[in-house]
Amino acid sequence: MRQAGTYSGLLAGGMSGRSGPHSLPLARIKKIMKKSGDDVKMISGEAPIVFSKACELFIEELTQRSWMVTMQGKRRTLHKEDVASAVIGTDIFDFLVNLVSDSNHSQDTTPTGTNT
Amino acid sequence: MADAPGSPAGGSHESGGDQSPRANVREQDRYLPIANISRIMKKALPANGKIAKDAKDTVQECVSEFISFITSEASDKCQKEKRKTINGDDLLWAMATLGFEEYIDPLKAYLNRYREGDTKGSARSGDGSSRKDTVAGQSNSNAQVQ
Repeated sequence: MRQAGTYSGLLAGGMSGRSGPHSLPLARIKKIMKKSGDDVKMISGEAPIVFSKACELFIEELTQRSWMVTMQGKRRTLHKEDVASAVIGTDIFDFLVNLVSDSNHSQDTTPTGTNT
Repeated sequence: MADAPGSPAGGSHESGGDQSPRANVREQDRYLPIANISRIMKKALPANGKIAKDAKDTVQECVSEFISFITSEASDKCQKEKRKTINGDDLLWAMATLGFEEYIDPLKAYLNRYREGDTKGSARSGDGSSRKDTVAGQSNSNAQVQ
């Protein structure tokens, strides 16, 4: 397990740590962008910066909507089923429906249940 | 999926789906770091809220999907307009088109702050400056394209 500490930036090669003013690593964002399609060849320097903030907004919104589901179930721990419900209940998250229902096939083994 | 107890000597190709070239890509190239995701998720919850690991993993996958979704739309636009470089405005346009118009104003504000070089003064750590210079150099060349 990698330990986060004073030297984590060095150990992780700088770019993947929390260096710089952005909360998400720009080099990683760029890699994911390039994998989006064969036509994606050139990316302006500003594009990953836009995404670093956009992903933050996206994660916040998805988390808040998921948390509402958690609360409705009178629980205190957010689980992936809550994320799935939030995705299914939100129009702009339609593009994620396949992803969350794919990884949802193990739903019968409820993670909230005690494992005894 | 079949739960084979050991690796068969014949080397059968039955690992369904995992044979795609995408599976060979290292996980760290496909996703943003889970620590960053986790930190942003925690910020969005009340202090007593807890997050299960499976939820973090799911959100991590969703973020990569979000980046691809927006990038593909922006890339289509660039192709139609016969431009080779995807820039920040293409992404903003794609987000507005795909229903994320609420992100546009905060993103523009963020981008303007960045362009003005405000991050230099309020940077959290010193080692950010060198990287900032490289990116700023790229965005300058982009500004001339517009």
